[in-house]
Amino acid sequence: MPVFPFKINTSDDVLCLSPAIAVFKPAQRPVKYRLPLFAGKVSAGFPSPAADYVDKTLDLNDLLVQKPAATFFVRAQGESMLGAGIHPNDILVVDRSLKPMSGKIVICALNGELTVKRLVFDNQQWKLRAENPVYPDFMLTDELELVVWGVVTNVIHAL
Amino acid sequence: MSVIVNPNDKLIGLVDGNNFYVSCERVFRPDLIGKPVAVLSNNDGCLVSRSQEIKDLGIKMGVPAFQIQHLVKQHHIHLLSSNYSLYADLSARMMSVLETFTPTVEVYSIDEAFLDFTDVYACRQDPIAYAKQIKETVQRQVGIPVCVGLGPTKTLAKLANFAAKKWQQTGGVLNLSDQTRREKLMKIVPVDDVWGIGRQLSKQLNPLGIYTVWDLAQQSPQKMQQRFSVVMARTIMELNGISCLDLETIVPDKQQIVCSRSFSRKLTTLQELSPAMAEFACRASEKLRQQHSVTGCATAFLRTNPFAEHEPQYQRAASQKLHYPSQDSRIIAGIVQQLLKEIYRPGYSYQKCGVQLSQIQSHTAPEQLDLFDSQQTLESPQLMQTLDQINRRFPKGIAIATTKIDQTWKPKAENLSQRYTTDWRELVTVYCH
Repeated sequence: MPVFPFKINTSDDVLCLSPAIAVFKPAQRPVKYRLPLFAGKVSAGFPSPAADYVDKTLDLNDLLVQKPAATFFVRAQGESMLGAGIHPNDILVVDRSLKPMSGKIVICALNGELTVKRLVFDNQQWKLRAENPVYPDFMLTDELELVVWGVVTNVIHAL
Repeated sequence: MSVIVNPNDKLIGLVDGNNFYVSCERVFRPDLIGKPVAVLSNNDGCLVSRSQEIKDLGIKMGVPAFQIQHLVKQHHIHLLSSNYSLYADLSARMMSVLETFTPTVEVYSIDEAFLDFTDVYACRQDPIAYAKQIKETVQRQVGIPVCVGLGPTKTLAKLANFAAKKWQQTGGVLNLSDQTRREKLMKIVPVDDVWGIGRQLSKQLNPLGIYTVWDLAQQSPQKMQQRFSVVMARTIMELNGISCLDLETIVPDKQQIVCSRSFSRKLTTLQELSPAMAEFACRASEKLRQQHSVTGCATAFLRTNPFAEHEPQYQRAASQKLHYPSQDSRIIAGIVQQLLKEIYRPGYSYQKCGVQLSQIQSHTAPEQLDLFDSQQTLESPQLMQTLDQINRRFPKGIAIATTKIDQTWKPKAENLSQRYTTDWRELVTVYCH
């Protein structure tokens, strides 16, 4: 927290600040009369028969977010994942706590860029597969250290 | 060799993010990994967070950005403005991950937390394995690299963390529960690296023949208390494995809220200062509402640039007590504007102003209403709640008009990254190509 740059002297009802001070006193507090106040709601009539059945309302977070601390939203750009239902400008829900496994759609850092691909283990070979025939697969070699940024769990697509 | 741990000993951990601000930026900018990156303070002033590559270049903490301009070009250094919305969000995520490892967590600062593992069986069984698991989990789930220090006291946990950061062989994890290991380390660490000692105190310790942590640990707490303070005595006891400091797991509400900034350019007129003051008043009130508090006293202050010695100098502050404790932006901003008019003097170039709220108390049931008080008639918690909700969804969506008159005073933030995690419009882009 930033340190308050002035010295503070506290007197009874005003704060005095150095060096040259303008001090304002509020008007005298008016005398208070304490009046009784009826607290709580007074209800009359027949109690609602549904009152016992009130569920919580539906929250999309429950559906889309398992681990809030590890969940990030990102925006997709490009068309290589159309086959997986990821369109340009869609929002992806990414869970970083999930293990990247074969078949999962992942976000990884490739050449300093965050890229979306499907991670596949096929013919003893790990690859990053695009979901669009126009785009080639990306072979993962032993010398390449791939950092998986997170696993995509949902797509939010506006119609 | 098996380590014999006294079952009565505590086991405290300190988890600390490495180059926290830089690491936050790198989560969304993988291209910055391995490159020299530094984050600047407000107004793009000084370096406040440095990547290892910057440290290796010998660039010190707190150096003004303009002083290293030649190095920036030469080494392709990335200097970023501070993005506190991002850092605060990732910090909260990190803390919430840490809470899954022990119920007792003290959030010590934006990037570090003390954890009590005394009653965590898995950690007692194999502290290093547990600490490594913490390190890996935070790295994987939040993306922030951390170091973990363990010890029977907070001071030793802090020392362990310091050593884990400094020596790569530790793998970022170190346990100082073992006495022989503790002694070895303490003999090579200078005393000013102990939590709470620092450079000033170490200058007073050196003449007494105290140079290393070990030298300090050998002192008599009683004698050092007479010479220095009770804090010093506690530090010595803690270094010897006697726990004197408990974890503070309940965060007390802030007793003072300060909002202030240096201006990007000098302001001279009341018309220029007024929007800045109004904005600080609103921000301070918002913080107040976040912690469900009300303030009893508002202070406005302004000053010229103390480093511009040839220019006339002026600084002043004034306070006003509120009739009734409030958290309403309009009331607080109104008082602050009055105060500004009182303290403002023409003929000076102002460099900084700000608002401080004090006499803060929790917002409980309202006091007996006063029929004839105008402040109370204006006060509207519902309106403020709505305002905060709207602004959470659409940042800076609604503001007091004064704040928008002139925004050219705003501090420089020329290299500000997106608010990746707190604004729908600023999400990170992932590429499908």
